[in-house]
Amino acid sequence: MSATATARPAPEKTAPAVTASRPSLAELLRHPLRGKLAVLALVAAVVVPTAALLWGTGAWPENLTADISAPLDDANRWVIDNRDTHPLFLYFLLHLSNTATDAVGSVYDVLDAMGWTGVLAAAVLFAWRAAGLGRPGAKVAATAFGAFAVCGLLGMWDATLLTLALMVVAVTLAALLGMAIGLLAGLSDRVDRALRPVLDTMQVLPAFAYLLPFVLVFGTGTPAALFCTVIYAAPPMARLTALGLRGADPSVLEAVTSLGTSPWQRLRTARLPLARKQMLLGLNQTIMMALSMVVIAALVGAGGLGEEVYSALSTVDVGKALAAGIPIVLIAVWLDRTTGAAGDRIGQGAPGAGLLHGRSAWALVAGGVAAAVAARFAVGAAWPEGWTVNISTPVNQAQAWVTDNLSSGVPLLGGTEVWSENFTLWILNPLRDGLMWLPWWSVLLLVAAIAWLVGSWVSALTATAAMSLIGVLGVWTKSLDTLSQVLAALVVTLILGVAAGVLCARAGRLERWLRPLLDAMQTMPQFVYLIPVVALFGVTRTSAIIAAVVYALPAVVRITAQGVREVDPAAMEAARSLGASTRQQLLQVQLPLARPALRLAVNQGVVLVLAVVVVGGLVGGGALGYDVVKGLSRGEMGLGMTAGVAIVCLGLVLDRVTQSARKRG
Amino acid sequence: MTAPTAPEAAKDTAADGPSDEPVFSVRGLWKVFGPKADRVPADPELAALDAAELRARTGCTAAVRDVSFDVRKGEVFVVMGLSGSGKSTLVRCLTRLIEPTFGAIEIDGEDVLSMDASRLRELRRHRASMVFQHFGLLPHRSVLDNVAYGLEVQGVSRSERRARAAEVVAKVGLEGLEHRRPGQLSGGQQQRVGLARALAVDPEVLLFDEPFSALDPLIRRDMQEEVVRLHREEGRTMVFITHDLNEALKLGDRIALMRDGRVVQLGTPEEIVGAPADDYVRDFVRDVPREQVMTVRTAMRPPLSGEADSGPALPPGATVFEAIEAVARTGEAARVVEDGRCLGVVDHAALLTVVAGTDRREEVAA
Amino acid sequence: MRKLTRTTRVAAAATAVFGMVALSACGAAETGKSQDAKGDKTVKLTVPSWVGAQANTAVAAYILESELGYEVKQQQMGEVLAWDALSKGDIDAIMEDWGHPKEEKRYIEDKKTVVKGGDLGVEGHIGWFVPKYFADENPDVTDWKNLNKYADQFRTAESGDKGEILEGSPDYVTNDDAIIKNLDLNLKTNYSGSEAAQITAIKKYAKEKKPFLTYWWTPQWLNAEVDLVEVQLPEYTEGCDADPEKVACAYPVTSLQKFLNADFAENGGDAAQFLKNFTWSTEQQNEVAQMIAGDKMEPEAAAKKWVEANEDTWKKWMP
Repeated sequence: MSATATARPAPEKTAPAVTASRPSLAELLRHPLRGKLAVLALVAAVVVPTAALLWGTGAWPENLTADISAPLDDANRWVIDNRDTHPLFLYFLLHLSNTATDAVGSVYDVLDAMGWTGVLAAAVLFAWRAAGLGRPGAKVAATAFGAFAVCGLLGMWDATLLTLALMVVAVTLAALLGMAIGLLAGLSDRVDRALRPVLDTMQVLPAFAYLLPFVLVFGTGTPAALFCTVIYAAPPMARLTALGLRGADPSVLEAVTSLGTSPWQRLRTARLPLARKQMLLGLNQTIMMALSMVVIAALVGAGGLGEEVYSALSTVDVGKALAAGIPIVLIAVWLDRTTGAAGDRIGQGAPGAGLLHGRSAWALVAGGVAAAVAARFAVGAAWPEGWTVNISTPVNQAQAWVTDNLSSGVPLLGGTEVWSENFTLWILNPLRDGLMWLPWWSVLLLVAAIAWLVGSWVSALTATAAMSLIGVLGVWTKSLDTLSQVLAALVVTLILGVAAGVLCARAGRLERWLRPLLDAMQTMPQFVYLIPVVALFGVTRTSAIIAAVVYALPAVVRITAQGVREVDPAAMEAARSLGASTRQQLLQVQLPLARPALRLAVNQGVVLVLAVVVVGGLVGGGALGYDVVKGLSRGEMGLGMTAGVAIVCLGLVLDRVTQSARKRG
Repeated sequence: MTAPTAPEAAKDTAADGPSDEPVFSVRGLWKVFGPKADRVPADPELAALDAAELRARTGCTAAVRDVSFDVRKGEVFVVMGLSGSGKSTLVRCLTRLIEPTFGAIEIDGEDVLSMDASRLRELRRHRASMVFQHFGLLPHRSVLDNVAYGLEVQGVSRSERRARAAEVVAKVGLEGLEHRRPGQLSGGQQQRVGLARALAVDPEVLLFDEPFSALDPLIRRDMQEEVVRLHREEGRTMVFITHDLNEALKLGDRIALMRDGRVVQLGTPEEIVGAPADDYVRDFVRDVPREQVMTVRTAMRPPLSGEADSGPALPPGATVFEAIEAVARTGEAARVVEDGRCLGVVDHAALLTVVAGTDRREEVAA
Repeated sequence: MRKLTRTTRVAAAATAVFGMVALSACGAAETGKSQDAKGDKTVKLTVPSWVGAQANTAVAAYILESELGYEVKQQQMGEVLAWDALSKGDIDAIMEDWGHPKEEKRYIEDKKTVVKGGDLGVEGHIGWFVPKYFADENPDVTDWKNLNKYADQFRTAESGDKGEILEGSPDYVTNDDAIIKNLDLNLKTNYSGSEAAQITAIKKYAKEKKPFLTYWWTPQWLNAEVDLVEVQLPEYTEGCDADPEKVACAYPVTSLQKFLNADFAENGGDAAQFLKNFTWSTEQQNEVAQMIAGDKMEPEAAAKKWVEANEDTWKKWMP
């Protein structure tokens, strides 16, 4: 997930708006941070008493709010009343939704017709072909085989195929859409600037918030699920395509121009091929994002593995949910390794020898798949009944044991329930109450001040505007509640993530060992571990924070590990030659030099923690997350959308106060 | 003999008559980077400022300042200068990879600056192709497809362009590597691919932008010899950018020496070494082994009676180094003979004067 | 020249594609109204997120398939979404509905795309519950007037110095914030956000024999595992919950309803008639629900087992 949101809108670093007139002040202002602090102190001395007099204390004033629920609910009603008659639906939107249904349906039919032998063979041969011959290829092929075999063994074969069919169509669409957007953004600076906030919103706005309008417009089942998935999954493809196009080696482009290429030839023969590696990474990210929508897709009746997870929840059956969650993780791992291996091969460019190269290899793959499809008539299309393993009972027993023994009464450590209680009492409550105690205008001032200190006055302006919008939407108190949870989750994620990342960077074996765990944490639907988390930590905001930490941790660990590992070896060598201890090397060389990566880790932490605010609402997080879920389940588009927009605003604020303007670009 | 200033040199060549028509003709060319770059060449006061003043006054940098020269058909024209002297910008202006700010460029008498996009593409496709310092190869294509790329851009069919590319690949000595990717080749081999790519379109002019400065010294020498060989075999016009004086002297028929965007001296290697235009050039050429550059035509004196008939004969283009060898071998003064006529003789004293560099002062004084 | 032909080819292909899209777009799209129900024998049922309703659907689906020869497609989705899908004909019937006045007005009265399918026979009731082991020790907790006395014992880290009342999924109607305020109770709602989280919390409390107060309802399969006793709130009277801000009374007893797509109800033949006839008791639903949730049986297997044992009941539903 390392590059899902690497870049956010980037205003150029601008000189401070306030400049000094007196020489002594100018002297002071020469030091950038101290100068800003001095100006801030001055502004605060003037503004704080004035504001206190004018507006007093307390939450955002009622009369400064605007209700957007009513117009949204009206729009909602208009859609319901007009969708069977209005030409916009009859001649356009309904075509889209029918085509979506047909496309997914036909992919499923093809997969179904191939039989389990055919699908298994196709997955394995595709992986092998993409990853190349030799050891890496064999490894990826083995992963593919294992993944699909386990899906069958868990009794999830048909659900897996259904999900796979949806994913194939969704990922194709998302990749095409992302590529189109990325092309525009990669070729035009103006489009790039205009699109960045759109992409950010697409990723941070919870799918729950726009699921309802999508269902109303496109209908339940496949279409709504498909389009929601596409919206959520397209941004990384767009970002990385644009990045790849922009990052193309200028000397190659110049050479290509010097040969008299037309712009189109340049794009087709040089820019796009040069961006291939980035685009493949984008595809990889898109696949991961799409897979994380599987369960949400089930909420609107798309079926598949998500439905299995969701229905297991209604009977509080962790084992069954896990049995459906594991295939999702395995599909993710299979596709991740396959696309990853294909990406590694780009640029190595070692064309294999003779028969197993190029078209003949593809022919071989096609032949193998055809043979396997033929074999299905011998063994049947459906996964054999007898070849399934029921993991539900042992998993449930294990979960019960863990809950019984770890939740409380553990000698010395106290147990998870005690921790959860203390965390809520001593960290979450003071944080939340503190934020809510602050007068609304002082929160705005604080946000502006931090954003200005960290970035520029433009970021201060954006952050303040976003924070004000939250107030105007009338969800001030709830947003501060959510903000306190997000901040706590972020801090926990960063502490754990950076520590684990540094360890991973220093011990390669640990990272190899952790990789499957991190993969699972990232792609396992949160719904699967909802129950154990509640069982261990109770219905509290702590549970919501745990869910967020689990989801955001892998990205932070990976980014940190990568950043620390890629520190210039020459600098490390110099430090060692000066006799620096391991600790000194880490603190004085590796971490300072890995700062860009750490900054990216913070950014990703913010995005990912916010992405699961809604999930937090499902385990006792309340506040905005609960509102979004409620909006969907009660059909109140206004409520859900308002909360969703507030989450996006929080994202904007957090980004501005953590990312300095210079580095954001 | 005084070194001609750049415009004078241009006039000289232009006066050489139709047989020596220039391929490229550059007049008063400016390239200014920065805000409102146009005003700099237009305003004589600004144009006269030096780099630091110009930057302070306008925020602009003039990479190329009022440069004029002609590239004659079939010659190797070298533009030489240290980094930052504007030479790479200059060569990119020739095909408008960088859009010049002011001035005139003609190729075969056709105005380059007024060309529309398609005409300009035509120029780049067929008439002038370029070899780059960092090769600029497409990493995802095989050697053969890289070489064929220029032809592909022109719309030549796959089989035809591959056949032609294969010929060029052989010509630059890359047989057997056709199916490798650029990433699997050494630097020298990659530059051969770059050279082959430029040659494959059979251009009128080859432009080289410091093509060998990223290569190891030994490989660099190989490649220089390759260029010399190609030039000898095909007689193609070449514009060659380099920061390496020895490379310039070795390859160039004529050399334009640049400093801070201006051409400080334009002449044959012998003129540059023998008669530096100013202290900068003099300093530059100080360590050049003069006997390798200076010819006997410069070193000779009129024959005394009797000398015209004996002694080893040398062509006027022979280097002093060769003359020393001949003189040392025979013990006599050598004759400079052209078309059976003795132009002059070089003896010990004359040769030593050249080697010691003591001839220079006399010439400058004269 | 070759370049030109290539360009032409691309242009021709693009024109062809656009032409096809344009042509297909000329026709109005199918709206997906339940045309299936008329011809072939397919019935589409929604599977709600709670087990009781899954039991209805499972039994109905089993009988439709095994006795009446229909093919049943089951689709899982949220309640309000199911109403919308029902209106559009994406599904044919909702087997259990706890009352959606807004949707009933919109789809039944205004758009007339949905019709009532009669009582399910099961009575639903929402209320405040405490565990039996706690009520046994403190019998007076079952009167709301005494709740403040026990508020201390219901305290958690989330509720601070007030007593906690555990709330459920946002799917379900709740007036609890208003009730607490209007009855002046020293309680605070804690929204667990999902039924699964709420059940997990209740099971955990029950295992540790801790006191707790929760928003809960019957029928619910968990009631067979954890004994809960209802706290008596001020009695429900018609219209006492009209203004959501001023509610200070108990929840009504709801007779759970079935709803059919209007088109399906008219043209659905035997299947529509069967679904209209479908009615069973709270105990019977609980029996199947307990098999699914308690014994972790597959819904089809549970339905099969019940159908085989209760022929008398379902024979009466046959058209």
